[in-house]
Amino acid sequence: MNNSQSIQSEIKRFLKFFFQELKPQGKWLTPFNIITIPIIIVGLIILYFRFTEGLGSVTNLSQKYPWGFWIGFDVVTGVAFAGGAYIITFVVYVMRVEKYHSIVRVTVLNGLLAYIFYAGALVLDLGKPWNIINPIIGNSFGYNSVLFLVSWHFLLYMIAEFIEFSPVIAEWAKFEKLRKILNSLTLATVIFGITLSTLHQSGLGALFLMAKPKIHPLWYTEFIPILFLVSSIFAGLSMIIFEGTISHKVFKKLIDPKHHHSFNEIIFGLAKGAAISMFVYYFFKALIFVHGKHWDLLNDFWGGWFLLEVIGLVLIPCFMFAYSVRNKSLGIIRVASILSLIGIILNRLNISVITFNWNVVDKYIPSWQEIVVTLMVISCELWVFRWIVTRMPVFEKNKNY
Amino acid sequence: MESYTYLNIFETKGLEYLLLMCFLVLFVFLIRYLSTDKEKK
Repeated sequence: MNNSQSIQSEIKRFLKFFFQELKPQGKWLTPFNIITIPIIIVGLIILYFRFTEGLGSVTNLSQKYPWGFWIGFDVVTGVAFAGGAYIITFVVYVMRVEKYHSIVRVTVLNGLLAYIFYAGALVLDLGKPWNIINPIIGNSFGYNSVLFLVSWHFLLYMIAEFIEFSPVIAEWAKFEKLRKILNSLTLATVIFGITLSTLHQSGLGALFLMAKPKIHPLWYTEFIPILFLVSSIFAGLSMIIFEGTISHKVFKKLIDPKHHHSFNEIIFGLAKGAAISMFVYYFFKALIFVHGKHWDLLNDFWGGWFLLEVIGLVLIPCFMFAYSVRNKSLGIIRVASILSLIGIILNRLNISVITFNWNVVDKYIPSWQEIVVTLMVISCELWVFRWIVTRMPVFEKNKNY
Repeated sequence: MESYTYLNIFETKGLEYLLLMCFLVLFVFLIRYLSTDKEKK
């Protein structure tokens, strides 16, 4: 058999295998399906109207509020939650801490899907979605724009994460030679990916630098990019703890029993990292607050809201993480991770939506359609995640390798 | 004769330096706290 014939037969074999894998496995009537299927259907109907009638028909966006819930939650918050991928790959592949190797694949998959779905949701928010390609093809590059950096970084990082995850796909599809080649690319891709991440996590914050008159002074600072970068560390770590705890219950059968025991140790390690990064973040916030001399701003509603975010959802979870690491309490770690995730959501929404135009009377409030579409995006991501982990060797390496 | 001048810590960088020193001291304590395992102790 010559080379082209063998390639053709390999492709045929893969296509047959792929279509077999597309068939649903397990029960249809599960609580997860019952909740998510109606959300996805309603979301698709809303999106039909969004693309036929325009943004104004389903959202409360206007010329005064061109960026709403879809940008604030899906893009700005979702990308922070995906930060776990660059932290874990750095720890495992660069620092060589093997303890966390068992969670690399699932973390990278989470990061990849988060970028595809949440950054992909950007298409829904653009008045002319086809223009999304402009920064890439050079039609009005806009070199000086932060958006130029962010759009290129999103694209490159998605490619980098795909390459990092691709050995798993090759392993699943039984492409042995390809798997070896892709595996050899991992370290270089990881280093490239970390560089990109540090820049675009802070770049997302830099998008708001030009909105100084619009953002409440308690949240606006010229250090927003640094705050976004540091907060993405504990956002990512808290997300791994939260998602990992759920995955270990839902996909229990797919996980090697050995990993069940080591997983608790991994959680304590992640909680330690979260506590340290939250502590640093809290002092950054305190230093910026003192530097800005904002004492008088604490007396009104916004002051209380700021303290709730900084003390209630950063400092308290930080102490909870530290206490639970020392006392080996998984329950407290789980609660702390949820609190810190809420803190990140609140922080990102405070900057992009809630305190944006804080002194204007007619405030933007997202429409129910915007919220349903966001839930649809999350549901679709979970469906794809479930499909991949139940078919590909995500939780453990194939025993043949 | 020179008179005493009141140093307003809020107007100067004093408070920021104090905060930074507190951070450094507390950071050392945090790392030490996280490094010792209560169960092993």
